[in-house]
Amino acid sequence: MEKRNNYKAWLYLAPALILMAVFTFFPLVNTIIVSFIENYNSAYGFNAEVGERVVNTGFTFKNYGVVLGITPRNPSTGVLDKTFLSFTGPSALGNTLMITFITVPISVVIALVISIALNQIKVLKKFFQTVFFMPYVTNIIAVGMVFSIIFSTNGIFNAMLKSNTNWINVGASYWNSMLILFVYIIWNALPYKILIFLSGLQNIDKQYYDAAKIDGASAFKVARKVTIPLLSPQILYITITSFIGAFKEYTAIVGLFNRSYTADGNVPDLFTVVYYIYDKLNSTDQVQYASAAAVILFIIIMLITLVQMKVAKKRVHY
Amino acid sequence: MKQVNVNTTHLNLVIPGRRKDVLSTQKRDKVMKIIALVLTYSFIVLMALIVIFPFFYMIIGSFMLEEDVISGKLWPTTGSFFENIHYNYTETLKRFDYFKYVGNTLIVGVSTTAGCLFITILSAFAFSRLHFKGREVLFTIFLATMMIPGEMMVITNYITMNNLGLIPIKGQTAIQAFTVMILPFLSSVFYIYLLRQNFLQIPNELYFSSKVDGKSDWQYLWKVMVPLAAPTLITITILSLIGSWNAYVWPNTAVKNDNYWLISVAMRGTALEIEDPLQPQVFKIQNSWTMVASTLTVLPLLILFIIFRKYIMKGTGRAGIKG
Amino acid sequence: MKIKIVGLTKKFPGDIKKGIQDTVAVDHLDLEIDDGKLIGLLGPSGCGKSTTLYMISGLKEPTDGQIYFDDEDVTFLTPEKRGIGLVFQNYALYPHMTVYKNILFPLTSLKVKDNEKSFVVEKSKKIIEILDNVNALIDLIKSTAIDGKIKRDAAVSAICNKYKVSMYLARQIYSYNLHASTDLNNDVQKRIDDALISIKEEKERLIKKNLHVNDNNEIVNENNECKQIERKLTKDEMDALVREAARLVQIENYLERKPAELSGGQQQRVAIARALVKKPKVLLLDEPLSNLDARLRIQTREEIRKIQQRTGITTVFVTHDQEEAMSICDRILVMKDGKAMQEGEPQEVYRDPKDLFVAKFLGTPPINVFKGYIRNNQLYIGNEKIKDVNPNIEDKNVYVAIRPEGFIIDDKGVFSLDCKEIITMGRDLSLVCSSPFFVGDKIKIIIDSDITPWIGTIKFSIRDSKLYVFDEKSEERIAI
Repeated sequence: MEKRNNYKAWLYLAPALILMAVFTFFPLVNTIIVSFIENYNSAYGFNAEVGERVVNTGFTFKNYGVVLGITPRNPSTGVLDKTFLSFTGPSALGNTLMITFITVPISVVIALVISIALNQIKVLKKFFQTVFFMPYVTNIIAVGMVFSIIFSTNGIFNAMLKSNTNWINVGASYWNSMLILFVYIIWNALPYKILIFLSGLQNIDKQYYDAAKIDGASAFKVARKVTIPLLSPQILYITITSFIGAFKEYTAIVGLFNRSYTADGNVPDLFTVVYYIYDKLNSTDQVQYASAAAVILFIIIMLITLVQMKVAKKRVHY
Repeated sequence: MKQVNVNTTHLNLVIPGRRKDVLSTQKRDKVMKIIALVLTYSFIVLMALIVIFPFFYMIIGSFMLEEDVISGKLWPTTGSFFENIHYNYTETLKRFDYFKYVGNTLIVGVSTTAGCLFITILSAFAFSRLHFKGREVLFTIFLATMMIPGEMMVITNYITMNNLGLIPIKGQTAIQAFTVMILPFLSSVFYIYLLRQNFLQIPNELYFSSKVDGKSDWQYLWKVMVPLAAPTLITITILSLIGSWNAYVWPNTAVKNDNYWLISVAMRGTALEIEDPLQPQVFKIQNSWTMVASTLTVLPLLILFIIFRKYIMKGTGRAGIKG
Repeated sequence: MKIKIVGLTKKFPGDIKKGIQDTVAVDHLDLEIDDGKLIGLLGPSGCGKSTTLYMISGLKEPTDGQIYFDDEDVTFLTPEKRGIGLVFQNYALYPHMTVYKNILFPLTSLKVKDNEKSFVVEKSKKIIEILDNVNALIDLIKSTAIDGKIKRDAAVSAICNKYKVSMYLARQIYSYNLHASTDLNNDVQKRIDDALISIKEEKERLIKKNLHVNDNNEIVNENNECKQIERKLTKDEMDALVREAARLVQIENYLERKPAELSGGQQQRVAIARALVKKPKVLLLDEPLSNLDARLRIQTREEIRKIQQRTGITTVFVTHDQEEAMSICDRILVMKDGKAMQEGEPQEVYRDPKDLFVAKFLGTPPINVFKGYIRNNQLYIGNEKIKDVNPNIEDKNVYVAIRPEGFIIDDKGVFSLDCKEIITMGRDLSLVCSSPFFVGDKIKIIIDSDITPWIGTIKFSIRDSKLYVFDEKSEERIAI
């Protein structure tokens, strides 16, 4: 009798399937296709003439070349767009990689230390757990603006340090701005990690700690030899998801910096991959570049995940 | 196999830190324990202060006059406390149409959440209770889409919506704006996954006994499974509402009419800039008012969080367990 | 080590707001355990036996009372300072470590008391000694070759065995690669010179501090006195200890596996090895057999007994299974509701239970309890007079408890029961009977299989030594 409700199952799934088809599966394929179309314009068919221009002139790899700064967008001027990828200065991909490889390890370590410390205490544990989770529910844009006021040149951070370094205001050095961006991203990334680590820690059998206590292992040794290995599934999960999350960083920048002066190409240039994609999406004749960048992002994320899965097989213990 | 030839019988194993006298050992251990506890608490308190400081400063900042905020004061030094609050909040609300944006956000949040709940319940039911060919494959495909960066979809969705004429640069109507904001987010694989896991825990016996009682699948779903999964549904509701409240990327891209801005998008608008009295034509954002707007944006979330802490933390935490 | 427990009490505080009262898990427990004995704490679940064990281990702090190890009051000493080994009910083996690392773990926090030694001199001397007869070394290395190819691991292991040196030194010697040398004499001389130089340098370093190295490679001062130091165990010493413990519980062949790859019985042994590796003075076992299947349980408990006897460690063993405790313990302590009911040798407690609870708790099938009474110095069950009793006992209601093996079928018997069922168990027969005066579920009687019983009323005579009488109110034993 259970087998018979075959068609009914599809009825139940229909709304989700239709929405997924329109807003997930089709876009996935379409975006890949768009990334290969020369002079893309969504409103017209192939080789249509729009004013003086001819759009959708065929399939090409040129879009990727333009994004990667190899092919000039406009052959007549021969200017290469180095916003996405540059080996000589800040670029969207460079910034993104830096954000990923700096903020993820640091925030994982800090979250781990906080979680282990929290797991040791009894009094006020619930209270601190709530405090540490609070940034998770907050509006990243609104709090980003608060951060930007805290770190402004005359702001409270400088007042406390008795300095007048320009961290993030117009004219701040690239590295100062990046530093504050890292701080904000790490601050933002902590709560989720702490939550996951804590729930992982609570699932570890207390007897392991009793056994370690009987054997006189120091707190540090217990953390290193017992807690962290037993937490390795959560650490792996967090690392993978944070790598992906950090790779898609965008709103933190919008919140922290005034949109206008990064997008205008002022120095310091704090584009990220996703920032680049939305920037291109906003100009109608550059959608194909946004698509190409998105496909590149997709491939990078897949690669990161695969590599980490491989590592996990060796390092996650059970 | 390795083999080692060390005679162990002569080894006189001792416990480090064990003194001859039990009392002094005890005393030393106690002191060490207290030191460790003090260090642990100090570390936690310090980190908690760092985590909490932006919130604290956001609220305090909204009580300060502009000159205090821009000169980095920790506490209001000028003006009278209550007058400052009154001045800041009325001035901000005059310029920053908070209630309109909250209204927009609530419209989007509530409709997205309601639609999403309905679709999620139906799909989770099909994936957990009904049998059909290709169920596991389809579910795996659904899960796999969670790995794909959303930007892949946003690009085409933007094109689609644009081609449907829903994103005109000028004169976007309420219907257009809200359709664009709500429609793509009605189905969420993550929530389907979350609810399906919950549905799977409901014992089969309940299903069979309701079948024996002559109930249809539809009745069983709404009368038995949905009430039993209430905690998960509450979690989904809260997470979905918070998601709408914090949504920035898509509404910012797809809404061209600032009458239909959501709260996050409006935060980054220019409503709180005023002309510098010394330099005409130069507009400066008012930090104290930004603090007010931020407080008004963040506070409802914090209150929601404190009330529903258990559901939020449980739901968010559960995502990690599958890892 | 002798363990003495005086007035040990553990209260778990309740919650007044929720109307939960304090629970007393252990209530003024007194106990003395002689050195080298195996004692079983026995009782139903919730009787406080595990709590007692955890208080002995130091993982739980008593509310009141004292615990002495020999003459030291260790009541509030932290667990790691007590020198105990504890085997947990579910073993608590670290799932991410191999068996070897699990057993090694306790050793990494220990130190060893030893004469201060110069390891440099010791090692260099050994190298010189081996290289003195370099041909023997080369032959040895070549003899380990398989198909003409020399494998490093095999060669190192051979060097280890032959010269009684550590793995690390063996590796070093192998790495000299003398078996492939083209100018052997020169190479050997170079290595010997190197060793001599290190000896010289070490001695020079020590002489600056007025110290010398004696023939045992110990560091001595001008009066030939050696300093006692606490040092960490060397890797070789740890390795030897781990292997020794593994050998003791016969798991040498599983050292490289992870606990999940072992059977329950093997995991259990690993847990015991981990507890024993640091040579504790006291071994504590918390229901160590409860996770094993029936056959393995019998086998393992005998092994625990053997290991305990071989090592002579004072051992406390917690179990709810009376058979387990009776079969391997030197002494048992029966507990109920946190109180000690009776302590003694297992057979003695069985033969001479002090109260009804102990009588009921020991023995399978359990003892049969009937409602009876004493009238005019005679014991009755129902209308049947069972036997005469001590004339000092006043008339009262009592419980009469008779062990299953205490019944003899006898036409002239004093006690009749209604036999419902006969179960053949090979050596014995088991009868299931009923009686209106019986307290409990089923009367079980065990008789010799030579006798042919029947369904229906059977008369029994009762063995005196298998019959106990308990006061109805206090449930204490009445001497009859």
